[in-house]
Amino acid sequence: MAGYQVPRKFPTTVVGSYPKMPPAEEALKKRRQGIVGEEEFHRLARDAIRMVVEDYLWAGVDIISDGEQTREDMVVYFAERLEGYSIGDWVRVFDNVYFRKPVVTGKVEWRQPMIIDDWEYARSISQGRPVKVILTGPYTMLEWSFDLHYGDRRELIFDLARAIRREIEEAIARGAEYIQVDEPALSTRPFREEAELLKEALEIVFKGVQAKRIVHICFGRLERILPYILDYPVDQFDLEMKNSNFRLLPYLKEYGYDKELGFGVVDVHSFQVETVDEIREAIDRLMKADIIGPEKVYVDPDCGLKRLPREIAREKLRNMVEAARIAREEW
Amino acid sequence: MKVRAQSLGGYPRPRSVRRLLRQSERGEVDPEYRVRLLASASSAVIGAQIAAGFDVVVDGMLDWHDIFRPFASAWRNVTPTALLRYFDNNFFYRIPLFTAEPEPVEPVLAPRVRLYAPLAEPAGLKVVVPGPVTFTLMSEVIGGLRRDELAEAIARLLADEVRAAVEAGASFVQVDEPILGDPEVGRDEASLAADLASRIAGAAGEAETMLAVYFYPPKREVYEEVLKAKVDYVMIDAVDGGGKGATLVAEAGGGRKGVALGVIDARSIYMDRYEGVKSLVEAALEGLREKESLILTTSTWLDLIPYSYSIKKTRLLGLYAERIAGDLGLEYTGGWR
Ligand SMILES: [Zn+2]
Repeated sequence: MAGYQVPRKFPTTVVGSYPKMPPAEEALKKRRQGIVGEEEFHRLARDAIRMVVEDYLWAGVDIISDGEQTREDMVVYFAERLEGYSIGDWVRVFDNVYFRKPVVTGKVEWRQPMIIDDWEYARSISQGRPVKVILTGPYTMLEWSFDLHYGDRRELIFDLARAIRREIEEAIARGAEYIQVDEPALSTRPFREEAELLKEALEIVFKGVQAKRIVHICFGRLERILPYILDYPVDQFDLEMKNSNFRLLPYLKEYGYDKELGFGVVDVHSFQVETVDEIREAIDRLMKADIIGPEKVYVDPDCGLKRLPREIAREKLRNMVEAARIAREEW
Repeated sequence: MKVRAQSLGGYPRPRSVRRLLRQSERGEVDPEYRVRLLASASSAVIGAQIAAGFDVVVDGMLDWHDIFRPFASAWRNVTPTALLRYFDNNFFYRIPLFTAEPEPVEPVLAPRVRLYAPLAEPAGLKVVVPGPVTFTLMSEVIGGLRRDELAEAIARLLADEVRAAVEAGASFVQVDEPILGDPEVGRDEASLAADLASRIAGAAGEAETMLAVYFYPPKREVYEEVLKAKVDYVMIDAVDGGGKGATLVAEAGGGRKGVALGVIDARSIYMDRYEGVKSLVEAALEGLREKESLILTTSTWLDLIPYSYSIKKTRLLGLYAERIAGDLGLEYTGGWR
């Protein structure tokens, strides 16, 4: 699988999710109805993963994902596969749309590999490009589930962290190079105590992990907690930037940010495809702010692409890759 | 000191209403059937509150998609648009887009009150409106309209809504300004919110009035502005932020008549422990005078948890209020014995 050279400057990547391809929709339906078991479910989803990987290759993305085709919801997927969780009752997400918010009813423990199968399949067809291992982080699992067992957020988040770490160990044993933990819930509660709680949990998740350690955070007032997250035990923060008009840049400068940065340059909430020039200007803006060098900048979308139509997602990625290529000549 | 309990706001939808609204979206429902089914589902929610001993109840707002929607849908020059996260919840509201000053097309509250106030017997019916500052700050505004002008315009329309609702039989009016719990909101926004809430409350006639701040306790300087509002009660969330809300009340006191303390965690399905709730009340009591009254309530609306739990928490709130009154020597004014 060796042979693909990730560019030294401005490598391009994705945050993880991609529009659901029809075979994935079909597999999810069969899984929901109990027609297929776990193994068959992942086998059925492979056609969808292949389509996603083909789009990434067409666009030219350097570090890719499996498109999270088997995950209907980023919390429910893991809750259904961890020990200690029960299927919850209906809770509204918006309008007349609901999801079964998972409930912790026992001690949370890792049971068996959860995402390894999809990830390995994506790797087998990625033509040597690295595939990120992407997991929902302990803080988001904690915040977006109900708890009936622990009655103590610290105990629960640390058990979640241990379970996630166990999955990471599985991936590392199989040669994973990039591990990303998604924590969208953190920016919704941008308070120092919360940021510090996640730090403790991430120490469990990432301690001694020999791979690129990434945490993705998006949409919220991150500047409020920036000082408390900068010493997280990670190599890279992957951040939404385009949607908030790069508001965070001066704060990164102010706090002397020096980790790698997953730099969100594509708005996942807009159907408007960003032009190559627009994305290149965003990269220029980051470089002119003189915060970190181009070898520390990973160019990617703000967040997962799952809510976009496939055609738009593809076009956005292609323009992003082209903009990064031009930026490599400039910087 | 008098103590009583009430739910803060909306309830989650039972299965029958979820199905009704789904069928409604597909155009399969006769409007009369819709009204009838919503009324029977709301009756159950109202009944649960009466059984819990609440002297003021809400209809549950079972058909409201979010707190802004019924108003954004009933006014001209505003449209509900894209989804955006609602505070720190895994719940999304539609951003109201204002293109000019809103104008009323049809009433929102009064028809509900006419329908639900008779069903609430022997309790009174509470109506809830979104505060103009939260409404404005969480909307998008185009076409040259200034935000402060918009907030004023919204306050005028809501005052008219409230006046009509009270005439129709509402006995309690609540203005929700959850955005005042946001640490980035300062004294100016709080002062405007208090001023506009006063105007809305001014239209409430004989009804009791309340200004509610939840999802997180406000900063001290914000709370001090909130206290200037000409309303009977200010409501503060004592659950989120580790009990800071109760401390604020202890230090800075309550509204004209007293304080409503959000003591039952409306965002968790864990059954709140009695001792924890009691200690929040004890902490807050230090800031209240003997002649003031205390309302115990939920930390926010109960609509973010499953329906069955919202009913359990309603009962728990009633039970705890009565027990706390006994344990702390307060006068419990709820119940229907
Ligand atoms: Zn994200």
